Amino acid sequence: MSLYLRLAWRNVRRQGRRTLIVVLAMGFGLALMMMYDGLIAGFEQAIYGNAVKILGGNVQIHAAGYNDTPGRRPLLPLPDDQAVVDRARALPQVVAASRRIKTGGLATSREGAFAVEIVGIEPEAELPVSLTAQNVSAGRFLAAEDEDMAFIGQGLATAMGVGLGDRFTLAGGSTHDQMRSRTMTVAGIFDVGLPDIEKRSIYIALGEAQRLYGLSGQSTEVVLFLHSLGQEQAVTAALAPSLPGYEVDSWETNFPELQAAIGTKSGVMNVFSVIILMIAGIGILNLLLMAVYERTREIGLLGAMGLRPGQISILFILEGTLMGAVGVLAGIALGLLFNGLLGRIGLDYSQFTSLTEYTALITTRVYPTLGTEKLLGRAVTVLVISALAALYPAREAAHREPAEALHFV
Amino acid sequence: MIQLLKMAYRDLGRNRRRSFFSALALGMGLALLLLMAAVVEGEMRGSLESTIRLESGHLQVRADTYDEVKTSLAWDDLIENPIGIAAQIAALAQVEIATPRLFASGIVSVGDETEGVRVIGVDPSSGANAPIRDGLVAGDFPAADDREGVLLGQPLADRLSLHVGDQVTLLINTSNGDVDQQAFTIRGLYSTRTPTYDDRTVFLPLAKAQAITRAEDHASTILVILHDRQQAEAVAAALQGPGLLTVTWQKANELLIQTEQFAKAYMIVLYLIVLGVTATVIVNTLVMAVFERTREIGILSAIGMRQRRIMAMFFAESGLLGVGGIALGLGIGGLLVVYATKQGFYIGNMGVTGMMLGERIYAYLTVQDTLTLTVVAFIVTLLAALYPAWLAARLEPVEALRAGQ
Repeated sequence: MSLYLRLAWRNVRRQGRRTLIVVLAMGFGLALMMMYDGLIAGFEQAIYGNAVKILGGNVQIHAAGYNDTPGRRPLLPLPDDQAVVDRARALPQVVAASRRIKTGGLATSREGAFAVEIVGIEPEAELPVSLTAQNVSAGRFLAAEDEDMAFIGQGLATAMGVGLGDRFTLAGGSTHDQMRSRTMTVAGIFDVGLPDIEKRSIYIALGEAQRLYGLSGQSTEVVLFLHSLGQEQAVTAALAPSLPGYEVDSWETNFPELQAAIGTKSGVMNVFSVIILMIAGIGILNLLLMAVYERTREIGLLGAMGLRPGQISILFILEGTLMGAVGVLAGIALGLLFNGLLGRIGLDYSQFTSLTEYTALITTRVYPTLGTEKLLGRAVTVLVISALAALYPAREAAHREPAEALHFV
Repeated sequence: MIQLLKMAYRDLGRNRRRSFFSALALGMGLALLLLMAAVVEGEMRGSLESTIRLESGHLQVRADTYDEVKTSLAWDDLIENPIGIAAQIAALAQVEIATPRLFASGIVSVGDETEGVRVIGVDPSSGANAPIRDGLVAGDFPAADDREGVLLGQPLADRLSLHVGDQVTLLINTSNGDVDQQAFTIRGLYSTRTPTYDDRTVFLPLAKAQAITRAEDHASTILVILHDRQQAEAVAAALQGPGLLTVTWQKANELLIQTEQFAKAYMIVLYLIVLGVTATVIVNTLVMAVFERTREIGILSAIGMRQRRIMAMFFAESGLLGVGGIALGLGIGGLLVVYATKQGFYIGNMGVTGMMLGERIYAYLTVQDTLTLTVVAFIVTLLAALYPAWLAARLEPVEALRAGQ
């Protein structure tokens, strides 16, 4: 095999100029895919990073049945929330575990009405880890005994036209088909610089939420704050077996539309890149086809020396694959160069923040990663297409009659 | 010129397979670009049409203090006597339909679940509701005097397991900054195949919506549909009045137009990469041709052919390859585009709330895109001959003649 490789490699190098052009084409194809992968990864990081920080918690635990229908967020109390909290706190990665009640609501003032998510929190548990608590711009964070007090974002305060100490109506979904409407006073305002996100949530004390929404002594969610992003899987895996009857999820599952959008776009991109690589593959095909003609005598000689047609085929397929391999290297170099540069500059997405719920989480710019996330798969695709492109010339070469080929001048 | 083309044609014919594959590479590239351009254009057009049909109409008349985002119901932010004003607007010759609409924020609650929705009070008999009426999947539109009926989007109903005849509680904001709630019966379900719209939009008869929100004889906007949408600016100018604001469909869709520009800028990068890869195939083919024909080129220049003409010969070859490739590309691309225009692509719900994205994208190929892409593909192919032509012209006649001996 190594002899074949050496022969094929020499053949690749014989026509430096042509090879270079083909390799560049393959390289462009791969670099394009890396650019795309880097952009998507940068996009996800920008969104998830902020999502975790602002909406709180890397892992969430709900009662069984919570995720049965996508997009549905029922008010399902946890069977034994204290046990869940205790279990979670025992894990080394968990910084804080907090019980919450989440329900849909409507905040209204004279200025207008805004659909919000009402989040009942344990202020003392979330104070040390909550980004909102660290960004209080007016008033104070919540306290456990607060009644009729709400902690809202600057974005919502501006939209509703309310300030510290002002009152507004907050209606929220309670158990048993009831809506509970209540006049709330603004206890504090936080400002994390994401008005669109700030508009979506209102925080109240857990005790108040339990009273208002018919969940005395209960909660619907336990959120876990972890030391760092990326530990979700380990924590989920460690908790899930010991919590039968609960659903343990990490952040990704909270954005089904984002996952769907990325899935569709990646699918389109995969088809797209395969077509580009096929076009580049035609370059390899043409080149090897020419090589078959140019080397007719050589092929005849190899045949006369006893190389079987199959072996001659392998020689050509290896040659094509090697070109692909050099193309992979060129592509990686191009891709890293491009992503490296773009990763420093970043892309301005700010004008599109209102386009979807998830893009609202992009604070400033999106910084693409190096795009090496799926590199192995991409590289294999390049090699496979290169090898396939070499099939036709290889068959052509294998079908030469040694004697005739030798006669050829 | 004719002679050059003849020579080029013959030269290409000398290695038919290679020429065919080179043209095929160009054809595949062009076909891919045509399809992409058509899909992006189709997506934008579809989205613009949906927004106009479902949301913005051709023109809206509002109070100048009204803020769309806030869904305010304070009387100061609304239009008084909307039915009378709508009738006046409808009397204009350019106007097809003018109808009042009232927007409110609400929550639908069923059992332990709640969903934030946008409530729209409409005149059920108005032709402006056609997209919703055509999309009715069960039941019917609530009648104008229905005090307990509501029309829900199918995705929302499915998610909450609701059917026609079921009861839902609807909580709505009111003019005085408070909320009110009432149990409604679902009279019908609709689907406009625009997931983010159907999922969040609930319809009430205007009179009921005005009553529950205490808006009384007020509406948020007068939705106007024209016979010819190009007249929006002119009609908007005619409808100026104190305290009123007219918004044309162009203005209401600014974000969409921005998105389109961004998408197109991004596409240019893709175009260049695809055509760049395609060009390498052509460059390689012609470079090989130069080396195969070194002796010939030597003879041609020895008998007095000028360098320029030798270069022109290669440009003629790439030009012919370009024509062949473009023909293939238009053929393959045309088939793909026809399929994508008829069948569309299913994309489902991408959570896009900033623009109306249907669940299927139908391609739309404009003549302009076709021409631009064809011309660009041709130019890139011609440019690809630069290097080989330069290689050929640079050959010294004497050395070239000796080559291969």
